[in-house]
Amino acid sequence: MQESSFRRGSIAGLPAGSGSALPAIILVGLFFIVPVVALLLRSVTDPEPGLQNYAALFGSDTYVRVFLNTFLVASVVTAVTILVAFPVAWMLAIMPPAMGSIVFGIIILSMWTNLLTRTYAWMVLLQRTGVINRALMGLGIIHEPLPLINNLAGVTIGMVYIMLPFMILPLVGTLRAIDPMTLRAAALCGASPFDAFRRVLLPLSLPGIAAGGLMVFVMSLGYFVTPALLGGTSNMMLAEMIAQTVQSLLNWGLGSAAAFVLLVVTMALYAIQLRLVGARRAGGGL
Amino acid sequence: MTPSFLSISAVRKTFGAFVAVHDVTIDVPKGEFLTFLGPSGSGKSTTLYAIAGFQDPSSGDVLLEGKSLLSVPSHKRNIGMVFQRYTLFPHLSVAENVAFPLRVRRRPDGEVRRKVADMLALVRLENFADRQPGALSGGQQQRVALARALAYDPPILLMDEPLSALDKKLRQDIQTEIRRIHRETGVTILYVTHDQEEALHLSDRIALFREGRIEQIGTGEDLYLRPASEFVAGFIGNSNFLPAEHLETAAGAATVRLADGSIVSGLKTAKPFGKGQKVRLMVRPEALSLTPGPASAALAVEIVDTAFFGDRRRVVARTAGGDEIDVRPTSDAVEPVGAAATGQRIYFDPASAFLFPV
Repeated sequence: MQESSFRRGSIAGLPAGSGSALPAIILVGLFFIVPVVALLLRSVTDPEPGLQNYAALFGSDTYVRVFLNTFLVASVVTAVTILVAFPVAWMLAIMPPAMGSIVFGIIILSMWTNLLTRTYAWMVLLQRTGVINRALMGLGIIHEPLPLINNLAGVTIGMVYIMLPFMILPLVGTLRAIDPMTLRAAALCGASPFDAFRRVLLPLSLPGIAAGGLMVFVMSLGYFVTPALLGGTSNMMLAEMIAQTVQSLLNWGLGSAAAFVLLVVTMALYAIQLRLVGARRAGGGL
Repeated sequence: MTPSFLSISAVRKTFGAFVAVHDVTIDVPKGEFLTFLGPSGSGKSTTLYAIAGFQDPSSGDVLLEGKSLLSVPSHKRNIGMVFQRYTLFPHLSVAENVAFPLRVRRRPDGEVRRKVADMLALVRLENFADRQPGALSGGQQQRVALARALAYDPPILLMDEPLSALDKKLRQDIQTEIRRIHRETGVTILYVTHDQEEALHLSDRIALFREGRIEQIGTGEDLYLRPASEFVAGFIGNSNFLPAEHLETAAGAATVRLADGSIVSGLKTAKPFGKGQKVRLMVRPEALSLTPGPASAALAVEIVDTAFFGDRRRVVARTAGGDEIDVRPTSDAVEPVGAAATGQRIYFDPASAFLFPV
């Protein structure tokens, strides 16, 4: 330990060769660490020193409900995204490369399209007199418009759509690394397609599902635009609440406290995933 | 007539205009070790995949004990298979890999444990049960794959070049293991390889594939000692081919004239040749000698090179016609001859040589 800090060319406490990372470290320090510390300070000093902002946050039914709703929405969105993304990723993984890159292109293109545009497009599709409801009524499948907007269904549809690429991309990487011969071997061993999926494909794709799932969950926790436009007032999410607290109520202290809690939860989730993946690598021989 | 155990009947496989397998028909008796041998792209793996259910034949049928397998999906065929690449499940331990086929068959735990122990003992990996596949060598992984493929007592075991990724020494060790396991289990094995030594070492019978057809099927001795064609003679073992002209055939013994004008008679032929027809004379390197035998034909040659290989020598000779001939006398049977020795003669028994049409 002692020797490493005296190694030539190393910066005290950092591994050798990290000198070139210095600009990036300064940048992150300046634009991330400093604001986060400022946020933390604000949450315990505004309007006066003390933990009253956190007490207000956890003491009020409204705020607790917003927290729970945020986790509910993020969980539902993550689960649905995994279910929708898996077949797409599997198709991409086994597709001939030429066709695969076209489908990849379509997915990436949707990521490059403006978020607001895409969310407004969903409003047009989902509202009471929207394309979906009219088509279903025209076909005689339903007689009353389905409530697809300003509720959990609307938020889920809109957010799953936006989150899909973040799930598909890591999953395709994991699935492509699985030798298709392994699945043939499973079939000859007597595994039905369902058994082969459950006992071989699914366990082997877990690292990709975990990576994509965490990404989607964390992004969903702090999502603002889509829940604000497609969600209802009864299921407000945390980001929207922070915006309201700061913009309308001008309560910077409470807003900072809520933002800080969100950050801590996110980092805790990340740490848990690192532990799980790390343990798997060490014991699993993957 | 009772149907044979496994019957591959006029199986044909086309990919667009390309015919990968031309109407291959083979009957395999129970317990046989049959090898599909051939160069890459000769249709041997495609035929195996038709049996495994990975590729449906374009026409023809595969029958196991008289029943067609074609409408049965892979996972219900109850066939064992060992693949060219290591296909163990990387997230399962060695024991769980071997248990896998039993678990998907919902066998009771006690039976699974017993069978896994038996199988690991069969491939001599009892002490590796709790390892992960990634911690095993290539040879060990293939032995686990073999244990997994045999765990559910399949009537047929397919092996698709299982040793091609291993080094030579390890290959020979595992070949011996495979022979022992075949003896002990009595399972019918269909084995694909492009390595003729491996095929000779392992098989009861060899089907030699060429361009989607079976060129010859028979025991290793049949193919080596009685090759049906120049291709078979060239693929199995080492051979020398000399261009010649057929003069006459009397009482099954042919007489030819070689490129240098010398006459060789008493040659075996399977096919009749016309007078003056161009043919090729094949003689194995080990059938040639530098000393005359009782009934030998002689070739006038110049010795180009000699080398010592322990049990044998290798002598490269050149005929007046310019053809190089490989001679493999045993090391004690020959006086070492220096390079560039002209006016030498090499001898062979005409009965050990073959004639093939050009």
